[in-house]
Amino acid sequence: MKAKHWCMMFLASVVLVGLLLAGLNFLVDPFGAFGDTIFQWWSYDETTNPRIAKQTYLETHHGEYDSYIVGCSSTSSFPVAALNEYTGDRFYNAFVYGADMEDTELQVNYLLDHYEVKNIVLNVHIVNTLHYSDPGEPMTGAMPASLSGENPVSYTLRYLFADPRYALAKLDALGEDTWLPQTFDVFDEATGEYDKRLRDIEPIGDLERYFEAYPEFVNYPSYTVDMVDLEETVASVARIKARCDEAGVDFLAVCPTNYVDYLRLYQPEQVEEFFRQLAQVTDFWDFSFNAISYDPRFFYDGSHFRNAVGEMMFAEIYGNDSVWRPEDFGTLVTAENVEEHLATYWDVPEPAEEDRTAQVPILCYHSVVEDPALASAYAITAEAFEAQIRALSEAGYVGVTTEELIAYVYEGAPLPDKPVLITFDDGYLDNYTLAYPILQKYNMKATIFAVGSTFGSTYYKDTDHAMTPHFGAEEAREMAQSGLISIQSHTYDFHQWAPYEESEPVRSNILPLEGEDEWEYADLVAQDFQKSRALLEEATGQAVEALAFPGGEHCELAEAVLRLEGVKLTVTTQAGGNTIVKGLPQSLYCLGRYYSSDALTPEQVVEMIGG
Amino acid sequence: MSITSLPFLALVAGGLVLYYLCPKGGRWVVLLALSCVFYLSGGWGAGCYLLFTALTTWAAGLALGRLNAALDALPAGEGRRAAARGPERGKRLTVLFVLLANFGLLYAVKYWDFTASLAGGLGLTLPTLDLLVPLGLSFYTFQAVGYVIDTYRGKVEPEKNPLKYLLFVSFFPQMTQGPIGRYGELAPQLLRGNGFSWENCRAGLTDILAGLLKKLVLADRAGVVVSAVIDHYTEYSGSVIAFAVLLYCLQIYCDFSGGIDLVRGVARLYGVELAENFRRPFFATSVADFWRRWHISLGTWMKDYVFYPLSLSRPFLKLGKFTRRRVGGRLGKLIPSALATFVVYLIIGFWHGAQWKYVAFGIWNGTIISLSQLLKPTFSAWRARLDRLGESGLYHAFEVLRTFLLVFIGRYLARGIGFMAAVNMLLATVFRFTPSDLWNGTLMGLGLAGIDYWVLLIGTIILFVIETIQEKQGSLAAFLDRRPAVLQWLVVMAGLLCLLYFGIFREGYIASQFIYQQY
Repeated sequence: MKAKHWCMMFLASVVLVGLLLAGLNFLVDPFGAFGDTIFQWWSYDETTNPRIAKQTYLETHHGEYDSYIVGCSSTSSFPVAALNEYTGDRFYNAFVYGADMEDTELQVNYLLDHYEVKNIVLNVHIVNTLHYSDPGEPMTGAMPASLSGENPVSYTLRYLFADPRYALAKLDALGEDTWLPQTFDVFDEATGEYDKRLRDIEPIGDLERYFEAYPEFVNYPSYTVDMVDLEETVASVARIKARCDEAGVDFLAVCPTNYVDYLRLYQPEQVEEFFRQLAQVTDFWDFSFNAISYDPRFFYDGSHFRNAVGEMMFAEIYGNDSVWRPEDFGTLVTAENVEEHLATYWDVPEPAEEDRTAQVPILCYHSVVEDPALASAYAITAEAFEAQIRALSEAGYVGVTTEELIAYVYEGAPLPDKPVLITFDDGYLDNYTLAYPILQKYNMKATIFAVGSTFGSTYYKDTDHAMTPHFGAEEAREMAQSGLISIQSHTYDFHQWAPYEESEPVRSNILPLEGEDEWEYADLVAQDFQKSRALLEEATGQAVEALAFPGGEHCELAEAVLRLEGVKLTVTTQAGGNTIVKGLPQSLYCLGRYYSSDALTPEQVVEMIGG
Repeated sequence: MSITSLPFLALVAGGLVLYYLCPKGGRWVVLLALSCVFYLSGGWGAGCYLLFTALTTWAAGLALGRLNAALDALPAGEGRRAAARGPERGKRLTVLFVLLANFGLLYAVKYWDFTASLAGGLGLTLPTLDLLVPLGLSFYTFQAVGYVIDTYRGKVEPEKNPLKYLLFVSFFPQMTQGPIGRYGELAPQLLRGNGFSWENCRAGLTDILAGLLKKLVLADRAGVVVSAVIDHYTEYSGSVIAFAVLLYCLQIYCDFSGGIDLVRGVARLYGVELAENFRRPFFATSVADFWRRWHISLGTWMKDYVFYPLSLSRPFLKLGKFTRRRVGGRLGKLIPSALATFVVYLIIGFWHGAQWKYVAFGIWNGTIISLSQLLKPTFSAWRARLDRLGESGLYHAFEVLRTFLLVFIGRYLARGIGFMAAVNMLLATVFRFTPSDLWNGTLMGLGLAGIDYWVLLIGTIILFVIETIQEKQGSLAAFLDRRPAVLQWLVVMAGLLCLLYFGIFREGYIASQFIYQQY
């Protein structure tokens, strides 16, 4: 090749490589900087750079919203759905991780300048006072040029010629995308919140076990932080409020709840000064320190509270008394009452563990038989059953239903001192003929998890296979109306019996089949539960909000789908006691159960569940 | 500005347009302007040092030229010797002054604090200067001093125009790491106003791409492990330390020779051919041969301006006479040259920096080379015996490996964080060599991922293949030029894509699991 041609070829190759890179970044658009026209995968883009991707997303979706929530990462737990319900408006949670008040102010200015806005809800987290203006990572933490005022040419070039790994990682992730969020798609596009479908089913109960899962709460670090940017932060909040007032936008400032040891990193006089100055520029709701602050189970880490706390905060603000929260949970602070508020700010007594949690053992039975020859691990004789119930009653245990446990957690309704949840799986007719009279005799409440497909049947589904008879609507209604028995779901058809089952493949439990499409599976689980609930609710007139996993088998995907379908309590067959926590819905998931049968003496049963 | 940065490439590209648009007579002015922009982008202070060196050596050159002319004008005959005494003395004084001024400055900036710490060890308190070493000080000082000595020797005509001379001292591509140019070869190329040539362009672009690949893909990647291990060598076993030193051999070679490739490539775009600085050193068959292939411009500078003058100096001639008489034989003849070699390597060691480890590095090399001169007959005998075993090249392989081993040991001294650290690293390699650390996952905790080790391995193999071709067939470009155009294009594309993916974007990428904390 002639030197001239070679040089031309070389320069053309350089240009080609440049174009390839720019083309890749433009088309794949891992930061959402160019509109992500092909994939429209905002949850991915927002994970890589929320500042840019959320703004790009709103360019085409702002018509769906009229109100915005803004702030740093803890803002994710400000609940969009609840706010929509309370206000009748359409909220978008525009929070970005790592936001300082400067980022937030730029964002608010942009929103007010470009879109129609009815409400701005601002998270004024005390962490903002530590850094007013913090330069983030150049690629993942950068603001869009339209907000930061950066030269649009340099901004565009930066993202056109970004490291190709970002684009390639996005293409790679496309093939690995799952129904549940993964590390690369942690945002919920429609609400702007973090996708917490996994977080919200995390089984939480016993404090010690929580410390094992979240060791940072054991010996929480103690050092002192300095609110160096206190005044700039307050001034920024003042400007945000002024802009909102000027535009006729409703402005709500909220200081959210902190974990107590995190709050203690701050210097009390600075915290007080911050609230004092803040009250001069705006009224605000202060939840920063209350009884919840003492319970690490309500926090991911010191400054990041769970969704449940967000629900409580907005229930307090909008006066929704159906959501439990501790007394003196929050205060609306104004310039007039700020001194009064600060005078008692630090006087928050630590609640006792027994006041905020309940220990609930659960017993698991299946069939009840008269003939001792038929007794097995899944069939207890009526005699043994009665002896066990008598022993429980004599030991002071009071039977509760799943509804009562749900009411305890969601509404703070009281529970007896020694509650026990007696459960039966599958829905056999003998539960009605043999167990129900015994339960009536001892006034012991119980819950039966009935399988939908065999409800009221003597034969297995539409086959000629005879099976242990199952009770139907009439018996279910009678038991439910007694107030003693709750009929809940054991799925509609995820408890198939392989020898009799005619459809393929057999689903003997709720787990997905190997290689099953996650979206189809999620639909199937949802539809199955809806069917089960419709059947049982129609029969009993009772709400169906609890489910026992067939065979005790469960997976996160099914748990997440069921939660979205309104299931508030699930039980497994894992032996073990349970700690349920007032105000923490997660504490009702995947509860442990003790199996009981003729093999155990009544005394052993009582001892097994805690004496 | 770094020579691998975007601003530097922009300077080069913009400079090229200006250079070739400018009439030939003014092209050197463009080069000077570019050099000023480059050098002053690092601050004005460094510029003052450079100006001092340029001015003193330029003035000395003029003075020497005038004295040379005076000497030339002396009539031949008996009175010449006496008449020449004055100008000769003037020349010597001029050179002495320039050497003292410039090496004095180099000493003050680079070595004074080392002296002060030595004096501190002896109980003397000397103030430390704590000066910032200006960019390329050692390189341009040696280059300028070389010019003065060449003028002294009458080998070159002094440059009258101070600005043209300033360009010779400050030509921007070579400011950071050489090569050390000779006035006679370099100045004409800088000053004559080169015409555009596609051949130069091809050679330059090839060198630039090769240099960037070596530096950014291999050297910077290997450097991660090198720093991780050697800066905390006490935490690692001998095998990991040896592995890191091995990678350091790769790092220093790719960084330095890659940098030189880049520099020579840039100069070549301007039609300037800089001195060759590396000639496949890892194919060397002896340590002396290694140093003839490694940092060649420094080696030849040392040979011309230190080794020969030293060997031919009066004390050394006297020493030679003495040893030949008293010791006699081969050894007697070798002692003076071995001593001069030793001094040269001591200086080379010191040239690298003001630390004991570099002194030891110099001694190590000096000792090996001197010893090898003495052992030459023994090795020749081995060779004769091996050659009888067949023409397998076995002895050649042995020589290459032996040389590499010696260089490898020397690298412990050059890279260790101090002399004692280097010694301890060597001891660990011998006495605490735990081979299992090489495959039990330890290497994965040193800042590089599995893919990076693959890049290093494959890159090294490719480099080895290329250098073998160069060693056997000369130019790689010529080798490739004989291949089909598509293949040439694929090679260029592969090079550019590797540079982009494994070089330019090596750092700074944050995988999604590290970007956020899911709350």
